[in-house]
Amino acid sequence: MNTRLPLLLLPAAVFVLGIYAWPTLLLLRNAFNEVGPTGAMIPAWSLATLRDVFADGFTLELTRNSLLLSASATALALLLAYPLSLFLFRTNSRWRGPLAVVAILPMLVSGVVRVFGWLAILGDRGLVNSVLQSVGLISAPLKLVFNWTGVTIGLTESIMPYMTLALLAGFGRLDRTLEEAARSLGASPWRGFLRVTLPLSLPAIALAGGLGFVLSMSAYITPKLLGGGRVFVLATEIFEQATTNTNWPVSAVLAIYTLVLLLALLALAQLASRALAR
Amino acid sequence: MTGYLELTGLHKRYGESIAVHDVSLAIGKGEAVALLGPSGCGKTTTLRMLAGLVDPDRGTIRVDGADITRLPAHRRNMGYVFQSYALFPHLSVARNIGFGLEERGVARGDITRRVGDALALVHLAGLERRRPRELSGGQQQRVALARALVVHPSVLLLDESLSNLDAKLRDAMRHEIRSIQKSLDITTLFVTHDQVEALTMCDRIAVMHRGRIAQIGTPEDIYERPAARFVAEFVGRANALAATRDGGGIRIWGAAQPMNDPGWPSFDILIRPQRMRLLPSAEPTGDAMRVEGRVLRRAFVGDRVEVLVEGPGGQLTVELPSGGTLPEEGTAIAVAWRPQDNLIFPPDAA
Repeated sequence: MNTRLPLLLLPAAVFVLGIYAWPTLLLLRNAFNEVGPTGAMIPAWSLATLRDVFADGFTLELTRNSLLLSASATALALLLAYPLSLFLFRTNSRWRGPLAVVAILPMLVSGVVRVFGWLAILGDRGLVNSVLQSVGLISAPLKLVFNWTGVTIGLTESIMPYMTLALLAGFGRLDRTLEEAARSLGASPWRGFLRVTLPLSLPAIALAGGLGFVLSMSAYITPKLLGGGRVFVLATEIFEQATTNTNWPVSAVLAIYTLVLLLALLALAQLASRALAR
Repeated sequence: MTGYLELTGLHKRYGESIAVHDVSLAIGKGEAVALLGPSGCGKTTTLRMLAGLVDPDRGTIRVDGADITRLPAHRRNMGYVFQSYALFPHLSVARNIGFGLEERGVARGDITRRVGDALALVHLAGLERRRPRELSGGQQQRVALARALVVHPSVLLLDESLSNLDAKLRDAMRHEIRSIQKSLDITTLFVTHDQVEALTMCDRIAVMHRGRIAQIGTPEDIYERPAARFVAEFVGRANALAATRDGGGIRIWGAAQPMNDPGWPSFDILIRPQRMRLLPSAEPTGDAMRVEGRVLRRAFVGDRVEVLVEGPGGQLTVELPSGGTLPEEGTAIAVAWRPQDNLIFPPDAA
């Protein structure tokens, strides 16, 4: 091994230490501080905040909401992104390049802009409700935003491009010849997909799923704006505590709790992906 | 001729280029036929049309009288051995071989028994639980063969199946596949660009060139009586000597030749290197064909020696068994051969 190789890591290491590790350590320190009667933070080494946060039933509800929303958004996004990625991976069409760009285009648009787009589509006077009402299928507008449904739709769309890229990267083991072999052995295209293509793409699915889940868990803008203040998740609560309530210790405890949760889930996804690649 | 496997007027084009041009072929039950040709000649496309992996534009495919041209691949019951073997990496050897049986709904106990038999047939008994990547190239090849054979296919199709093996193993597998094919009496179509494979493994050879079948016949036919110049040059090696006409007589490299005039204005004569012999320049040769030249180079190839001779009309190679005395490089020499070993074709347009 080249001894100078670690030098190449130096710029990135400095950057990560300065931008990520240091603030995280500060956050960790804040978690042990206390809040005085005036609302000001008092430096201390206390476990009171930690105890309070985990004794509060609301924390459990936030966790449940975050996990459920992320799981449903990830599952939905997988269902949509998997066929799309498979098509992009396979096609020889000259539209492949443009189509791939369209598929990841949402990544390039600001989250706020995207959310306002959804409000225009899903709102009470939005595209969907106007069309359904003018056709006469419904009399009153469907509640599609400022609730669980709206957040799920928004999250699904925002994580799809990332998952499409992850799936495309993970499809390396897929081989057209293997499907042809399955066909020659008597498997219909659908059976061949179930017995060959799907099992071989499980590692990619685990990877993309892990990524989508983590992104959903840490999403703030989408649950905040499409939830309309009625959908509470860990990310929105951390922000509320830090800004509105200026309760830094609670915000810090919740942030570190979320981080640990995510790291655990990422590790699980990694393990699953490796086990499935065997 | 009617056969067990019949291709009639098969045609396939990709955009502007015609991959397979009206190919017709009848193969008897239990017969092994090689589709031999250079890459891009349409042999693999033909095989893939048989397996149902490519749709022909025109033509029909019949097996045992039944038209299967439009039948989807998974209903054709053909065994296909892929060039890359295409073993399923996520399944054990046993599950790979049993794949076709599972798809056919064979009972679990029967699958186990038949997979065991198939593994024994290809001398891999005991490797049931291995994964494909834990096997050598030769073993993977055997698994692919067992997987194709275990379903009792009506036809066995092999696509360049030996080209990924090293030379020694290839020799062994050649004989093994041939003996399995004969013992199972299975109709086999074998795509290859390797003439030795075609000559040794098959009852008949169909030489393909630019999407068409240039000649079909027994290995002896193809080698001794090539129907086209392409066949003569692709199967085995041949020296091409330009013949000229001079006052009614035929001359090669300036020397008059005792042969009949085929009547064409100009033509090449092809001769196999091992059908030529060398003799001292002064020695008479009676009524044999003969040219004069100089030894340019000698190459020892183990069981034979190749002598490169240069003359007024170019160069030619003479192949001799090793062990005899050889002329020194640079000496003047005569090359002679029998007129009946001439391979003469009309000056072709292509």
